[in-house]
Amino acid sequence: MRNLTGLLFAGGLGFMLLSIASGLDFGAPPMLVGEAIQSVAPQETGATNIVTSVVLGYRGIDTLGELSILFAAAAAAGLVLGRRHTTAGTLTEGGFVLRYGGAMLFPLLMTIGFYIIFHGHLTPGGGFQGGVILAAAFFLPLLARPGARLHHGMLSMIEGFAGSSFILIGLVALAEGEAFLQPMLIQDTLGQLVSAGTLPLLYLAVGLKVGAELAGLLSHLAQTESEA
Amino acid sequence: MNSMVVLPLVLPLFGAFLLPIIMRASVGVGLWVGPAILLYGCWILGNQWISGTAMPFSLAIGGFAPPMGINLYVDSLALLFALAVQLLGLIFWPFKLDPETARRQALMLLLVAASTGLALSGDLFNLYVFYELVAVATFGLISASSTGSAYAATIRYLILSGIGSVLTLLGIALIYSQTGTLNLAHLAQLAPEQLNNKLGLTAFLSILIGVGVKAELFPVNTWVPEVYATAASRVSAFLAGLVSKLALLIILRLLVLIFHQQEAIQVMLFLGILGVVSGELAAWRAKDMRRMLAFSSIGQLGMIFIALSIPDQAGLLAVLALSFHHLLVKSGLFMLADGWGGAIENLRGAAKRSPLAAIVFILFSLSLIGMPPLPGFWAKFTLITELAAQTSPLYLIGLAVFLLATVIEAAYLFRLAALLYRPVSEEKPIDTIPKPAGVSLVSASLFGVGLLAAALFITPVGELLNHVAGQAANAELYIDTVLAGTGGGR
Repeated sequence: MRNLTGLLFAGGLGFMLLSIASGLDFGAPPMLVGEAIQSVAPQETGATNIVTSVVLGYRGIDTLGELSILFAAAAAAGLVLGRRHTTAGTLTEGGFVLRYGGAMLFPLLMTIGFYIIFHGHLTPGGGFQGGVILAAAFFLPLLARPGARLHHGMLSMIEGFAGSSFILIGLVALAEGEAFLQPMLIQDTLGQLVSAGTLPLLYLAVGLKVGAELAGLLSHLAQTESEA
Repeated sequence: MNSMVVLPLVLPLFGAFLLPIIMRASVGVGLWVGPAILLYGCWILGNQWISGTAMPFSLAIGGFAPPMGINLYVDSLALLFALAVQLLGLIFWPFKLDPETARRQALMLLLVAASTGLALSGDLFNLYVFYELVAVATFGLISASSTGSAYAATIRYLILSGIGSVLTLLGIALIYSQTGTLNLAHLAQLAPEQLNNKLGLTAFLSILIGVGVKAELFPVNTWVPEVYATAASRVSAFLAGLVSKLALLIILRLLVLIFHQQEAIQVMLFLGILGVVSGELAAWRAKDMRRMLAFSSIGQLGMIFIALSIPDQAGLLAVLALSFHHLLVKSGLFMLADGWGGAIENLRGAAKRSPLAAIVFILFSLSLIGMPPLPGFWAKFTLITELAAQTSPLYLIGLAVFLLATVIEAAYLFRLAALLYRPVSEEKPIDTIPKPAGVSLVSASLFGVGLLAAALFITPVGELLNHVAGQAANAELYIDTVLAGTGGGR
């Protein structure tokens, strides 16, 4: 009975989606807001990467929401996993190549991660993407040496201060009599590293927060896993 | 100052990010962070309410005028809900002290921030973001009781909630593909031409089912009894009392502003009726206090959906009256269930152990059924007169089901009330009868006092709600307020 209803639901949903898809005219989306943003974004925000100007400028509060979702997910996972700690050394260490390869990759990954964060307003990339690379940089040595441990206190410190500085930048704009999260300090240097005012700062906060959060979550998961 | 309204939305996020650090430095300071932020939020919103002469207004985030940027839309309805979120957040604050306090309180702050966002935001996708944040924060809070059954309930909720999110996103994507905008006011302008078709209807139904997961809509509410029976009572009360209403608020705005198709309304009415029938019958058969409350909450939400299918001012008045009544009563009942959870049979003679709790329970029950001097009567009466005035036969079925549901409600609530006053059996010492804890009883009594106050001042309260409903039902006012360029900043 239950399988049958599931099948019926899936079939109905598939039929609905197919009939919707047949009614859509592809290739000619109405770009009402999109075109308006494209034509003014570089002037209004000073960022050459229009995606960034949307993510941090026009829809900045969505990004704040996404950051909070990530934070909530990490906190919820922490609640479920509890404060169990692994007994170090139960897993075999990685081999020579893995250990030293991981150690050598660390600075490279850090460089690339920060590069992507700092150029988020110029080229594709930004805080979320760079942050994930930073997290990978910290997680890689952990895979090679299962006994090693990340400094969780430090990570949650970075995470908290990065997240709150995103909001602080927004609140400063509010205190200056502007709207919350309004881009400020827009210089006349479109396309250069120092441009787009507060947007790169926001992306730095996003990158650090995402990096610290993911690294903490991954190491938390890895440690709980090794216990079971 | 109008631009301050963003603070009750942002400061809880700020506090949540910093709370783990503050807690590590000093637990004593950390414990005060959350309540202080919520109090400040109440103060700001309360001030706005009192000085609310310039309402409604729209607040552009980032200074980008809508529809390019995201705006908050503040009318009396949004403000009322935002205020309720902060207040209830304060009342249901998870003050329990253990190693996980920081995480739990941070999640609660996130939940409050997201709920405030749901009340205020004027952008469809922004609403979705906050809706997701509510979902993720509640996953954490529900599973925080760390029992096996809580985990099982959370998993079920997680799966249903995921399906709901995907459906909502599908609906939003369809709307965007047709109109190219996400701002509610802008959509309201475009809807008569571009969404008044099959695609628009599909989009609405996807969103209805998706958002309906939180609003306890009929086919997607199977998570409700498990979650409410296993989660902490404070969390259940917040979810049943407030979060379900905020999901309703999204649907209300969509109905008033964008979707006027007759079919959309009929589907909602139909699902509402099914919700009432299934919820009330299940509540009648429930053997556990919290489950009974959960099922009864499904039934009540079904009634609100029936009311929502009359989307003019009178219908909205019924929606608001039923919503706020349910908010008061169900929150109070869940606080009582804090000590009275578990099998109903155990409650035999509980009135002797805790007379005040029994009296408060009877007060809530009477109002829930709709006894004349209490606000519940007034709320239900508004809906009945509205339903009777409709001509379509489906509305009359709704009316019949509604009356029948009231009878069933009376049956199971009075059965429990009678049990409370049954003499205690000889071999059972009175100390073993469960009793609501002190704090919960005080909070429950608080809701009871609120209920009585509403009964005393029913005329001004009714006028106020009527005014709120009038403002919310006015789509032109919404469009003009948002798109006339009242954005803050440049």
